[in-house]
Amino acid sequence: MNYIPITEKDRNKMLEQIGVNSINDLIKDFRPLLKADLNLQKPMSEFEVKQHIQEIADKNKIMKYFVGAGSYDHYIPSALGHLLLRGEFSTGYTPYQPEMSQGTLQAIYEFQSFMCILTGMDISNASLYDGASALGEAALLGASYKARRRVFVKNGLNPQYLEVLKTYCKAADLELTDEINDQTACVIAQYPDFYGNIENLTHLAERAHKIGALFVVCVNEPTSLAILRAPADFGADIVVGDGQSFGIPINFGGPYLGFMTAKEFLLKKMPGRICGMTTDVKGNKGFVLTFQAREQHIRRERATSNITTNQGLMALASTIYLALMGRNGLRTVARLSYGRAHLLQQKLESAGFKTLNNNPFYNEFLVKTPKPSDDILSELFENGIQGGLKVDEDKLLICCTEMNTTQDIERFANVVKK
Amino acid sequence: MKTIFEYNEETTGHLSDEEIQLKLPSDLMRDDLELPNISEINVVRHYTNLSKKNFGVDVGFYPLGSCTMKYNPKVNEDMAKLNGFAGLHPHSSEECIQGALELMWRLEQQLKEITGMDAVSLQPAAGAQSELLGATIAKAHFDQKNEKRTKAIIPDSAHGTNPATAAICRLETVVIPTDSRGNMDLQKFKESLTPDIALVMLTNPNTLGLYEENILEICDLAHKNGTLMYCDGANMNALLGITKPAEQGFDMIHLNLHKSFSTPHGGGGPGAGVLGVRSFLADYLPIPRVTKQNTKYVLDYEKNKSVGKIHSFYGNFGMLVRAYSYIMSWGTDIRKVSEHAVLNANYLLSLLKESYHLSYNRSCAHEFVISSKNFGEKSALNIAKRLLDYGFHPPTIYFPLIVSEALMIEPTETESMETLDRFASALKKIAVEINANPQLVMSAPHSTPIGRLDEVEAARKPNLRWNPSLENDKMGSH
Repeated sequence: MNYIPITEKDRNKMLEQIGVNSINDLIKDFRPLLKADLNLQKPMSEFEVKQHIQEIADKNKIMKYFVGAGSYDHYIPSALGHLLLRGEFSTGYTPYQPEMSQGTLQAIYEFQSFMCILTGMDISNASLYDGASALGEAALLGASYKARRRVFVKNGLNPQYLEVLKTYCKAADLELTDEINDQTACVIAQYPDFYGNIENLTHLAERAHKIGALFVVCVNEPTSLAILRAPADFGADIVVGDGQSFGIPINFGGPYLGFMTAKEFLLKKMPGRICGMTTDVKGNKGFVLTFQAREQHIRRERATSNITTNQGLMALASTIYLALMGRNGLRTVARLSYGRAHLLQQKLESAGFKTLNNNPFYNEFLVKTPKPSDDILSELFENGIQGGLKVDEDKLLICCTEMNTTQDIERFANVVKK
Repeated sequence: MKTIFEYNEETTGHLSDEEIQLKLPSDLMRDDLELPNISEINVVRHYTNLSKKNFGVDVGFYPLGSCTMKYNPKVNEDMAKLNGFAGLHPHSSEECIQGALELMWRLEQQLKEITGMDAVSLQPAAGAQSELLGATIAKAHFDQKNEKRTKAIIPDSAHGTNPATAAICRLETVVIPTDSRGNMDLQKFKESLTPDIALVMLTNPNTLGLYEENILEICDLAHKNGTLMYCDGANMNALLGITKPAEQGFDMIHLNLHKSFSTPHGGGGPGAGVLGVRSFLADYLPIPRVTKQNTKYVLDYEKNKSVGKIHSFYGNFGMLVRAYSYIMSWGTDIRKVSEHAVLNANYLLSLLKESYHLSYNRSCAHEFVISSKNFGEKSALNIAKRLLDYGFHPPTIYFPLIVSEALMIEPTETESMETLDRFASALKKIAVEINANPQLVMSAPHSTPIGRLDEVEAARKPNLRWNPSLENDKMGSH
């Protein structure tokens, strides 16, 4: 398939206008020039590409998922996909020219508003890469704001997020420590935590603030915020997380949607784009990127972060999702996810599983299995069910969303009862 | 247009009859959730109308320099949406993800071939995250060798992400000026290349759209100094199938799949960064690595020299599918992409160089920088705004910083000669207008849904979110 509209006739005319004989004259200084064609396959027609990639896709197996752990299979309304395909949104870039990017800019403003409402915080940026790197950025922000170099993480953080956080700490020479003291820049807690536990974090926030550290709450499964107390109520200074649950397919792990909201006093330290409302020369309401003096293209080595491209279209997806679902829809998603998980948990208790959560849980819970977790997983697997994440030889982390119907739960319970 | 929060309606859609009791202590429960309940038709109209106030490659010419705003073939979207990919859970067992791993493995082979690197990681979510990864790998490499290197050399034409990345990694930036031919000044480079330089971050072709004429010598000098060469591959669209960064002497390169490999820019992402490295750095790449064992693909976590993970899972997988689809379309013909990107840029430059100042009189690569300094201060901004009236997205302006009143133009290979002619003629007309009728240009745009926006007010009185209590106050005061 060829996406170049230049004909041979055009090419000759263009070369003549430039004043050279061939394209090779234009690239002769690109040393060292390759002497042979790249070792790639033959070009394919659109039909061949489709056939080839469909074959690859067919080698994957899609299951009924009872696993979350950072990736949640929620229902996505049809209207969302249709709106997201509009080329005006999907083929634009960072809105540097606000007069012709009001669509993207207003959507960012709405996104920021939604995230502030859900987390209870004052300000939001336009998105970060994913939940894990958003947490990394929060640690960088904390270290920079407090001029301290230690980071404390409460037990129960998604282990993959912990791995990414470690990489960010390595990059920036920050230290992960297991005590909170006057060197601690920020204290991090996941809510609900990796095992689904919901805990009142007020005391931890107070401890952080007492020694002058920032308190960071990390949210993996943000549909929980429809029914749970907002992290701001516990005293969070920064809330980060992943917005994948809001209308973004599980996509084998990406693209997802990192987000960051914060208290107002951190505005000038926030990483990433921020959109603000203002007026034009005629007094009409409009939107622009603002506080750009924080950013790399202006501030270079003194920027608050190096982020440029973020997850714009995913932020738009979640904005449209939240608009489509509304308060009733989102609460329904949260109640169903909670309800289905608790229904399954009860059924598993009567089948000899033991729930290991010490606190109330949302839609994920940890169980001790009556026989090796591998055996349970493979029995379920034969029935088309991905039955959870193996945490240990006899421990599974199980998740439900509204997509796990009561029939699915019945089937799960029947398989493991045997 | 009103925001989504200002619709005065209250639908009851999405309510479920299922009886569910929340058994949560009251200190963990939320009692308010101030989200609007809007009917589907109004949500669809709201975002459709918003899209109409936007501009993308699908709407018109978008020569935003350094961003490679080429056409995004639609088939790639269809491929990424296949349920076998979009519906695949990242925690699925290995036998369920063979197709996904195969695609990643194949894409890695292709990108290795294109860059000449020995290993690539698909994990970074964007170019800037690749830079962070690359700098972290450089630090790990020197730690391993027990060498203390604390500085990075970066030319003054570099993207802002390069010094920003170095700063996060606590590397001091040593800035090298640009010489009269638009290259990094070789003499200054030699003088600055001290034993404490960890890496050189270089964009090639550079942000002036010029191929670094001394690249072989620069890399050679750096290597003799034990310094690593990092290539910011934002401008790879000039080089596909023509020259390989590894053969130029680079040790690492990042690629932006949303630039050279045509995944849509999404109004600011998601993109995908890729980091390619030479073999001596391969063990530092993030885990897990995709490996092939006979006919089976596996995720290998057993790499104890790895700097760790940089993404929650395996990267922006959906973007990888799109890039793979794009590369499969082109195959061995991919060189034509870069040849025509260079042809289009030189053609457009030849049409414009009589009307605008050109700082470096050389053939350009896939983009070029002209200056409107002869038209006075703020002229680049005014010209950009006037271009909106002609239906074009303006070029990048005021970058690179070393060219005053810079207009950085990247047409890409997917534009026709007719489009380039129309764009050149608009810019030439504006060059006439700006002298004949300066007010017309200074007050542009005149045809957009909204005029020039007050950025000072935006920063002075920040309104960064819809706020129900403020709205209520406003209502109260009426």
